[in-house]
Amino acid sequence: MTALDLIREELTQILTYKGAAAGDIRADTPLLNGPLDIDSLDLATLVVMLEEKTGLTPFAEGFVLFHTAGELAVLFGDGHD
Amino acid sequence: MVMTDAPRKWVLVSGVSRGLGLGLARDLLAQGYGVAGCSTTFGDDLQALKAVHGDWFFWQDVDMADAAAIEAFVLAAVKAFEGHRLWGVVNNAGMSVEGILSTLPVSDIEKVLQVNLTGAICLARSALRQMMKTRKPGRIINISSITGLRGYTGLTAYAASKAGMDGFSRALSREVGRVGITVNSVAPGYMKTQLSEGLDDKQLDQIVRRTPLGRLCELADIVHLVRFLLSEEAGFITGQTLVVDGGLTS
Repeated sequence: MTALDLIREELTQILTYKGAAAGDIRADTPLLNGPLDIDSLDLATLVVMLEEKTGLTPFAEGFVLFHTAGELAVLFGDGHD
Repeated sequence: MVMTDAPRKWVLVSGVSRGLGLGLARDLLAQGYGVAGCSTTFGDDLQALKAVHGDWFFWQDVDMADAAAIEAFVLAAVKAFEGHRLWGVVNNAGMSVEGILSTLPVSDIEKVLQVNLTGAICLARSALRQMMKTRKPGRIINISSITGLRGYTGLTAYAASKAGMDGFSRALSREVGRVGITVNSVAPGYMKTQLSEGLDDKQLDQIVRRTPLGRLCELADIVHLVRFLLSEEAGFITGQTLVVDGGLTS
C-alpha cells in the first residue's frame, strides 16, 4: 500500500466519523481549504495515524510545508524508492 | 497484562508518589478508574495501592524533564490498559525552588520550567496522540497554583511555570474542544504539602488570616474538584482556571 492509499483510507475514516462525504481523493487534492470537509485538528489526527502506521516522523525536526494529499504522501515515503 | 473486567476508563496522573498526586491516584482508583501514574520514587504508599488495585494501577519511573521518557510512559500505559479507554490526564507533577530571582541558579530555573511546564505539555501531547485516534471526548486537567495568578516573593520561576500551565489550558481547550476533550486548570491555594515547606509557620498563619474561609487548602478540596472535572457532568467546562483557595485571591 502506498502512502497515498493510506491517506485515502485514513481520511475516509475521519470524514465518515464526521458524517461528511470523502469523495475522490487524488494526489492533487488540497487537504485544507479545498473540497474535503476537514480542519486542522483532522489533519493533525491524519498525521498522527500516518506516523503510527508508517513508523516515519517527517515532522520530528520541525514543520514541513505541504498542501495536497500527494505532497503529504511524499513526506510519508511515496516516491522514495 | 490481562484485565478481564468490563472496560474501564483510565487516567494518566503525573507525580503520584506523594501529596496531592498520591491522593488523586487513591481517589481515582476508588472511583473505579484505572490509573497510570508516574513519579521518580515508588514508596510504601504506592506499593500499598498496587497491592489493593493490582493491574488497575500501572506505575512507571519517569523524569518529567525527559520528553522521550514521557512518551515511552504513555505508550507503555496504553499497552497495559489495552481494551480500556484513555479518558484523561491529570498533570500534577511539580517541583519548586525558592529564592530571590537574582540569586537563583539558571539551572534551577530551567529545571522548574522543564518539569512543571514542558513536562506537562509533553504529557498532554503524548496522551492526545492516543486520544485523537478514538475521536471521543476526554479530559485534561492541569494542576497549577494561585502563585500563577498572584505574586509571591521567592517563587518567581515556579509562578511562571504555573501561569504558563493556565495559558496552555486555555489554548489547548480551543484546539481540541471540537472532539469533546475539555482542558482546565485547577489552581489550589496554599496547601500543607512538601511544596509549601518553604513557607514557615508565620507565613502560613498569615495566609490563613487572609483567607475568608479561614484555613489552608486541603488535599480533599482539590481531589473532589478533579473528580468532578473528570466526570461526564463536567463536559461543558473547558478553558478555565478553577481557583480553590477559600477566597484568598478574591
